[in-house]
Amino acid sequence: MSVRIYLGELEELILLMVALIGADAYGVSITKELEEQTGRVISISAVHAALHRLEEKGFVKSKMGGASMERGGRRKRLFQLTAYGRQTLQELRDVRNTIWAQLPNS
Amino acid sequence: MAIYPNPPKWAETLLERLAPEHLAEEIKGDLYEMFLSDAKRFNESSARRRYSWRVIGFLGEMFFWNRPTHQHHNMTGSYFTMAKRSLLANKGTTTINVLGLVIGIASALAIITIIRFEISFDTFHTDHKNIYRMVRVSGADLSEFRTGIPYAIPPAMKDISSIRKMTKLEYLRGASVDILSADGKFEKEFVEEGGVVTVEPEFFDVFDFADSPIKWISGNPKTSLSEPSSLVVTSTIAKKYFGEKNPLGQILRFQKIFDFKITGVIEDFPSNTDFPFTMLVSYSSMPQLFKGRMSDWVSVNDGHTMYVVLRDGANVKDVERQIAKIHAANAGKDLSEHRHYFLQPLREVHFDPKFGTFSRRTITHETIFALELIVLCLLAVGCINYVNLSTAQSTLRLKEIGMRKIMGSSQKNLIVQFLVETLTIVLIAAFAALGLVAVLMPSLVSMLGLPVKINFFDSALWITLALIIPAVTLCAGFYPALLISKFNPITAIKNQFSTGRIVGVSLRKTLVVIQFTATQVLTVATFIVVAQMDFFRNVDMGFDRNAVVVTIRVLNNDPSSMNSFETELRRLPFVKNVAKSFTLPSGVDRNRNSRDIGKPDAHDVQDYQNYEYCAVDEHFLDLYGIRLLAGRNLVPADSSKNIIVNEALMRNLGYRNPLDIVGAELKLGGDGMVHVVGVINDYYGNSLKERVDNIALDANADRYRQVSVRLDLAADQNMTEVLTKLEQKWKLIYPEHAFQFRFLDDNIAMFYEQELKYSRLFQIFSATFVLIGCLGLYGLITFIANRKGKEIAVRKTLGASVGNIMVMFSREYVVLVAMSFALAVPIARYGVNEWLTNFENHVEVQWWLFAVPGVMVLAIALVVVCMKSFDAAMANPVDKLRNE
Repeated sequence: MSVRIYLGELEELILLMVALIGADAYGVSITKELEEQTGRVISISAVHAALHRLEEKGFVKSKMGGASMERGGRRKRLFQLTAYGRQTLQELRDVRNTIWAQLPNS
Repeated sequence: MAIYPNPPKWAETLLERLAPEHLAEEIKGDLYEMFLSDAKRFNESSARRRYSWRVIGFLGEMFFWNRPTHQHHNMTGSYFTMAKRSLLANKGTTTINVLGLVIGIASALAIITIIRFEISFDTFHTDHKNIYRMVRVSGADLSEFRTGIPYAIPPAMKDISSIRKMTKLEYLRGASVDILSADGKFEKEFVEEGGVVTVEPEFFDVFDFADSPIKWISGNPKTSLSEPSSLVVTSTIAKKYFGEKNPLGQILRFQKIFDFKITGVIEDFPSNTDFPFTMLVSYSSMPQLFKGRMSDWVSVNDGHTMYVVLRDGANVKDVERQIAKIHAANAGKDLSEHRHYFLQPLREVHFDPKFGTFSRRTITHETIFALELIVLCLLAVGCINYVNLSTAQSTLRLKEIGMRKIMGSSQKNLIVQFLVETLTIVLIAAFAALGLVAVLMPSLVSMLGLPVKINFFDSALWITLALIIPAVTLCAGFYPALLISKFNPITAIKNQFSTGRIVGVSLRKTLVVIQFTATQVLTVATFIVVAQMDFFRNVDMGFDRNAVVVTIRVLNNDPSSMNSFETELRRLPFVKNVAKSFTLPSGVDRNRNSRDIGKPDAHDVQDYQNYEYCAVDEHFLDLYGIRLLAGRNLVPADSSKNIIVNEALMRNLGYRNPLDIVGAELKLGGDGMVHVVGVINDYYGNSLKERVDNIALDANADRYRQVSVRLDLAADQNMTEVLTKLEQKWKLIYPEHAFQFRFLDDNIAMFYEQELKYSRLFQIFSATFVLIGCLGLYGLITFIANRKGKEIAVRKTLGASVGNIMVMFSREYVVLVAMSFALAVPIARYGVNEWLTNFENHVEVQWWLFAVPGVMVLAIALVVVCMKSFDAAMANPVDKLRNE
């Protein structure tokens, strides 16, 4: 591992959710997916904060999407994994796999 | 719309208020979406509760509070672009603004450099806060301020425990110095005008010049200054006397008598010290120089001074009491009641002209304050110009402001934009000012005789500039920025202002009045200073000061060679008269010797008068045009027991009429009686800053030290030729002595050197001030005349004459000048009276001193107004009205 990656546990989960959801990843959908996948209820503000940090670090990029009646006519910010984000996830998994492979089977 | 329930109003408002603009939409969207799904899953009130909690959750997140920075970033560049455009659009006003500020800032930098030099004197010694100079205050009314300390006092002060270090020195000022050849014969004479001193090795302990230590090129203070007859010279002196030769071990002969051996060479002393020494003789040589006087408790040489370093926290009053005790125990009761010793802090020495300094330079705190005031005035007048011009001009920018506001500029943005515009002007001005100062400083400094330079590597210069720039920017720019940014965009766009109304009128009038007032006060002050200097130069001092008199200092006072010199001089056709005397009637070269005199029945100190005695020959009164009021002149046959007194001494001794005192016997304090043979009119021996002293003349031929030569020059006589002839005669009698002479008028003028220099400085900067003021006024009136073009055109079409229009324009300024006059007179009167009390003799304050500046300001204002309004009034109204 050449560069150390600073990624919190929640940040990593959310990054995975962004990758999983694909085209329609935004605050609400990510919160819902997290709950479904992991059973954890994360507050919407925490998700926004994490997404904000991820964008600052360059793991995701965002653009404003379309408005709908369900949102009171407001647009949503859609997030998308960047190449760097994808590579980071990959590296994290590789590190874990390497370590797991070295554990004695019990 | 029951399908869509509403989230709680307060939470929504909170979010709207606090959320960063670029995030608000997505956050509100997400929250609303969740609210709707909550409302479906649970019920509406539970959904509302959850909504509120989520909003509060956002308030806890850091990212929520971070405002985007990149938008502001882009504005900075555009502020400068816009500043550039608007400055270029109004080239005339920009030039006036920049010019005013350039002159203001340049003057400020120059004066601040001078002030910094003056206040830096002797602040570089490690102990400078604890160093005190011992001073002497004496006389019945404690009006005599001197620095000399009798030789016996310092050794007796050793036991005062609060004194940590002390050092005494005798400043001998000038000397005649001979270089001797290898076999001890006279080779060449130099005359030193000053810098000769005797010091103890401890001098360099008390005054350590810590910031820029004086390097010892050879020798060291401990060994080089301890032996008698040792001499330490500065490298400049070493070079002057010996060139590249090694000065160490060389012997120099002082005053034709004393041989001192060079035991050390040091670097030159810095220019900002009041100890400007060049030749330092060891203090242990003093007994040799002043023979029996070293144990004297009473008589004093004013060059013999004493410095002490007190322990931290020592009580100065307490030390003074202990000195007084020592003084009283040894000098006798009478003297100790009339003479007091005090300790003056070193930091006051440079600022107290009463006592003076060895460098002959002092500057009062008042003068420094006046200089600071001028700095403020000069900067303020630049700012006032700026405020006046930019508020007047703001009308032109109404549309621009309106447009900006409509496009979304906030008032804050606009203020920043105008301040950036001001900053641009100030920056341009500041850098131009640096250039101007660099160019003009050398001539200013040489006029003032100050060794000050503008040093671009001096951090203090840049700090000064760094303080001036924002201060001027805010003072000049803030009010116009506020005013302009407040415009209501609707009115601005609707063109309501363009009918000629100009905003900020009352403020501008106030500023113009202030400017006029300051101009008048400064002009009055300059007039008074110049008048006072004139008074000093031309007033009747009691003797004939306009005579061309060359005064020659004689080192060898052997009466017979002096007589033959006199005879030789009298042979020259242009010599009208020659007189020998101990000292001159006036001038800085004057020596003083004083003692006490009283009526025959005097025995208490109060009965005696302190007076100055001077030996003169029979030609002295005639040569200087001093009038004999009663009795007779002195003759060579008179002994020193026959004296002539001046009127002041006569009055102080209690005689009314000159005739009464002639023939009287008087008692000297100490040694016997004298006989009064005549009375002369008072003349000023001191500068006119002080009073007339008691003076008595006698005919003691042994004490002659000066030869005065009164010249009667033909109109085409060449002065250099005359001086060469005088010098030839001198060399005839005194081949080994340098010819040291001075003109009497120069000698007297030197009393007022410092005042004269600073009065010139005041004149220059007052003129500068008036100039900047005029510049601003010119700009303002030009602008207003242009703006009112249409009004004038309409008036003209309706039948107004050119005269009518000019009166209309001028009326306002006449009122403003009148107001400023009413303000200026009391201020100037107060200031002038305060300043004049510094001088014992001063000019009368006359009414025209106040009237002339008033008329002058009125005239300047009217000339500018008339010039501009005449142009406007003469213009063809059709040109103005057509292009609507």
